[in-house]
Amino acid sequence: MILSGHEISRCVKAGTIVIDPFTPDQVNPNSYNYRLGPWIRMTCQDRNQDSKRVVTIRIPEEGLVLTPKRVYLGHTAETIGSNSYVTSLIGRSSVGRLGLYLQISADLGNLGAAHAWTLEICVVQPLRIYSGMKIGQVSFWRPIGASECYSGVYTDYSLPAGCLDHCLGKMEA
Amino acid sequence: MILTGKEIEKQVKLGRIEIDPFDPCRINPNSYNFRLGRIMKWYREDVLDVSKRNDTEEATLGSDGMILSPDRIYLGHTEEVMGSDYFVPIIRARSSVARLGLFIHVTADLIDIGSHNQWTLQLHAVQPLRVIPGLEIGQVTFWTIEGEVSLYQGKYQGCRGPQESRSYEDWLS
Repeated sequence: MILSGHEISRCVKAGTIVIDPFTPDQVNPNSYNYRLGPWIRMTCQDRNQDSKRVVTIRIPEEGLVLTPKRVYLGHTAETIGSNSYVTSLIGRSSVGRLGLYLQISADLGNLGAAHAWTLEICVVQPLRIYSGMKIGQVSFWRPIGASECYSGVYTDYSLPAGCLDHCLGKMEA
Repeated sequence: MILTGKEIEKQVKLGRIEIDPFDPCRINPNSYNFRLGRIMKWYREDVLDVSKRNDTEEATLGSDGMILSPDRIYLGHTEEVMGSDYFVPIIRARSSVARLGLFIHVTADLIDIGSHNQWTLQLHAVQPLRVIPGLEIGQVTFWTIEGEVSLYQGKYQGCRGPQESRSYEDWLS
């Protein structure tokens, strides 16, 4: 069962869902609009070398044009999670209509993980995005059965985390 | 909880799910196949901006359809007007269409409860692909909801034909 927007608000007040900061205006009929945080992690080609390195940049005030054929890692501005309900993070139709993919077929969160979520972003056409924009939606689902909460490698990350970051230690912002 | 095909048919008859036109032949065990409508839109510019109105072009497709190019996002629409004030719809591609590399939404599969429209399809082809109006392109599922409900009254309500992004409205307020 999916929670209605009213139920999401009620659970945030009761403490069974974490959305921090929480803005009632961002509640939809059956989801919550989350915002894009300021940091983007991306690969960049080293000059005069074949190698690539991973850099983390702050989205400038004038926005950042994302280019097709590469993956960017962003993060939610909010801390989001719940021990009681399963999260699903997806894009927003207003942004999908501009060809921006969010969460590359990995929209399902784990019970018990509450942190800023890493967003897997790619675009069909070049697209200018901005820090703080409402970029996606999170919905909450009631599970069935005894639960064991997530304690995996990405639990502690509150900035965009690449797949090897847990081997390299927490990233430097 | 997801509705079975028989339950979808029952709820359509009861007027609690709108699928218009409705054809019992298109019911699946736990979803309904919807068709691609005749109007197709795309953006005029190559570089898009979430904070601005991006101009579009549109075409009415003939029986030979059109070829979608991988480097553009296209906005199509469902032939059917669909929606429900009682269940939450989620859309996805039909596997027969996905097997040809066609995305029918760009990570925005969750529809708000109370949203009654010809839904806009965010079309992205991995390889060039010809699509034909009337094609059974996707499936809609319906899910039960928990908690007090406020129905969708957003900016895309009541639309016919594909609707381009109105994300720029976030920057006007």
